Amino acid sequence: MKIWLHQHLLALIDALGHLRRAKGSFSLNVVVIAIALALPFAGLTLMENLRPVTQRLSVQPAISVFLPLDAARDNVLAMEPALQGILKAFKINGRVTFVSRESALATLKEKSSIAAALDTLGDNPLPDAYLITLDTIDSSSDAARIDPMIKALTALPGIEQVQLDSDWVKRLAAMLQILRVVVTLLASTLSVVVIAVAFNTIRLQVLTQHAEIDVARIVGATDRFIYRPFYYTGAMLGIAAALLGLAAVALALIPLNQSIADFARLYASDFRLVPLEMMNSMLLVLLSALLGLAGSALSVRQHLKRAE
Amino acid sequence: MSIIAFREVGKRYGASVTALSDISFSIEKGELIFLAGPSGAGKSTVLKMIAVLERPSTGAVLVNGQDVGRLNASGLPYLRRNLGLILQQQRLLSDRTVLANVMLPLMVCGTAKYDAEKRARAALEKVGLDDRAAALPLSLSGGEQQRVSIARAIVNRPQIILADEPTANLDRLSATRVIDALRAFNAAGVTCIISTHDELIIEHAARVIRLESGRSI
Repeated sequence: MKIWLHQHLLALIDALGHLRRAKGSFSLNVVVIAIALALPFAGLTLMENLRPVTQRLSVQPAISVFLPLDAARDNVLAMEPALQGILKAFKINGRVTFVSRESALATLKEKSSIAAALDTLGDNPLPDAYLITLDTIDSSSDAARIDPMIKALTALPGIEQVQLDSDWVKRLAAMLQILRVVVTLLASTLSVVVIAVAFNTIRLQVLTQHAEIDVARIVGATDRFIYRPFYYTGAMLGIAAALLGLAAVALALIPLNQSIADFARLYASDFRLVPLEMMNSMLLVLLSALLGLAGSALSVRQHLKRAE
Repeated sequence: MSIIAFREVGKRYGASVTALSDISFSIEKGELIFLAGPSGAGKSTVLKMIAVLERPSTGAVLVNGQDVGRLNASGLPYLRRNLGLILQQQRLLSDRTVLANVMLPLMVCGTAKYDAEKRARAALEKVGLDDRAAALPLSLSGGEQQRVSIARAIVNRPQIILADEPTANLDRLSATRVIDALRAFNAAGVTCIISTHDELIIEHAARVIRLESGRSI
């Protein structure tokens, strides 16, 4: 065990020594891989930031049924059984809640920054409404029943407007799903780039260290002894590139967040993009190290076997 | 049992080039053997076959009774750790100090750095270069470089030293020093096989194997 650790330490020192001697080309390779990695890293950062938004604003659909401004309160209250009937007819579970125009105005004043503007209007501009909160939609057949149900609600006499409140959240969730697919494809493609760059870096290193490898063989070095420093170089290439890629994404968030803050303020939100969490970042660094290792292993096996 | 035995060994490169043809000889433990012959006689090929840098096309090469031509890749390092190989081109690593070059065979075996350094310094002392340990190989003369490669070959205390034209490109004084160093290791019990085309060197040799055009004469 002690000898094994010693051999690994030697390999690491050897790899670091070679990096020191060829720091220019190594740095350039790190930058190339970092640029390639920065794209999926940025995508992941975006996904991780948007995921809480879609989770907090559940995709559990809520339907607002607005009634005419001049509708009599008795008529309005009498509509609830009809709404319950439609839910039952479409076999959709949900809860029907009456929201009076007075409580809607109070909530609006409480939650928005336009309270002063609302005061200047004099009369309450909001209508009475029903809020139909549906149970979570689990299947596409459930989702398919919502649109016909909305049509049926709209067709009821005395209904001004029916609005599916969670539309934008669903759109965001769908976009996030697309983003997830794009990031996955991008990550897969760019993983090949990482492997290819590591492969080429090690190929060049094998060529420049050809004499050293020959001497090591002559004096009785095992293949593992010869291969090991190259594996470390590949892994270090991956680690350095991943750290640089993560740093680049984190730096890019600074100017981006200034613009996002201005935009979010309009919606009374303090939303901003934050860099990936430490654990996720470490996983990405590890993954990148493994890709570098894979590239170096492929290169070493191909080029050193050929040189034997 | 002979420490090295060649049994009807032949080596061909492609269909037309024959480097060795039906070579047979045995070497006992502790012997000092000179392989003599002109350039292209097959001396280097014989040494390379013992170190399995080449494999025979026909016949068998035995080292300590083991047919080394059949050794697989994983067994080769352990064979080579018992051999000290000195080549005409010393193949010293120019970016490492003399000491680091001599330490290399020990480092590949997993020897601790402290012990490796101590043994490498002792090996350099034996070839009279202990004061040049910190120098880079390119700052040494040809004879000194060859003595560094001898130190590298003996540092692992090998059973056999294989020296391929160790005095080529050296002046007479340096050549004598190199051969004297090898004779000293042989006197300590190490089997030495030295290839040369220099007749002066083999003048007082106890045993010479002469090769010509790939055949033993």
